[in-house]
Amino acid sequence: MIVEGQVHGGIVQGVGQALMEAAVYDKSTGQLTSGSYMDYTMPRADTVPSFKLGYKVTPCPHNPLGVKGCGEAGAIASPAAVMNAVHDALGPIGVKHVEMPATPLNVWQSIQGTHRAAAA
Amino acid sequence: MYDFAYHRPKSLADAVNMLKGKPEARAMSGGMTLIPTLKQRLAKPSDVVDLAGIKELAGIKVEGNNVTIGGMTKHADVATSADVKSNIPALAYLAGHIGDPQVRNRGTMGGSVANNDPAADYPAAVVALNATVTTNTRKVPADSFFKGLFETALGEGELITSISFPKAEKAAYMKFPNPASRYAMVGVFVAKTAGGVRVAVTGAGPSVFRVKAMEDALAKNFSSAAIKDIKIPADGLNSDIHGSAEYRAHLVGVMARRAVDAANK
Repeated sequence: MIVEGQVHGGIVQGVGQALMEAAVYDKSTGQLTSGSYMDYTMPRADTVPSFKLGYKVTPCPHNPLGVKGCGEAGAIASPAAVMNAVHDALGPIGVKHVEMPATPLNVWQSIQGTHRAAAA
Repeated sequence: MYDFAYHRPKSLADAVNMLKGKPEARAMSGGMTLIPTLKQRLAKPSDVVDLAGIKELAGIKVEGNNVTIGGMTKHADVATSADVKSNIPALAYLAGHIGDPQVRNRGTMGGSVANNDPAADYPAAVVALNATVTTNTRKVPADSFFKGLFETALGEGELITSISFPKAEKAAYMKFPNPASRYAMVGVFVAKTAGGVRVAVTGAGPSVFRVKAMEDALAKNFSSAAIKDIKIPADGLNSDIHGSAEYRAHLVGVMARRAVDAANK
């Protein structure tokens, strides 16, 4: 159960990185504009569905118990998986690149860029 | 927080007296904006006059063609009121989507309308339904109440006692919440009442505004198809890290069409 909890948390952390979280600084003053949770978007309970986890068990050969660390394991793959999904969804309308995090604004701007290029 | 004198009057007349002649005194309803402002030392009022003890300011009444809501009525009470839900369901929906449960059980309609935060939800309902704001001294029509960024027609020591909303034939509110704060980045209230069709937008500009072109088109044909080609100019709209003025202008159109579709359901 601890392992599952770590992976759940890790996946959500990665989803947050892919879609929401951004430390934004004002270019002229250096002020952190995403300085509170009113502006810094954290993933919340309603951001993600529940997960079913699958396992592939490969014991570690370098210690007597065969154990490995698993802290926040889901955080490595989830940003890549989510960004690939975003690009897969937008590919058919010609979008080749979306900045991370893929916020509603960034996705919209990417689509607009494609439309402008098509019109030109 | 700076030091201030705290008052808790029992009647509207006492509250008005406590505010009289004190330009640095502030009235407090739910405190959902004022208390964080005080905690951050962004305001230094001499006196805080807490309106929570004034029973006469809260409550919901249906009178003829109007639903009249007391200034100190909490969002949660508007959201769950059988009278609001049966006469203006869109208003109950709006109230039920303000902030979070904690805010809805403290924040009040009068407080939100008097504060006129550019991203607040209620101003869109007040303008779209052409409500009348009643204060301790006069009645103010919706179109002349909201003056600009955090600015209203309220004078010094003037308090909102109630807001009267005409029943709507069709109405709906759709908001695109700021992903972090969940305030309205753009919120559009569309209403068809005996007085005609109105489209009011909050979150997008410095203060709530109407979209005349959409109102005219919807008066002829109340369908989302009738407004699909209407473009909103981005000039003067709000811009921040979550939404440029251009994106907000785009969202006004999207939310307006969704609101019309919801109103037609």
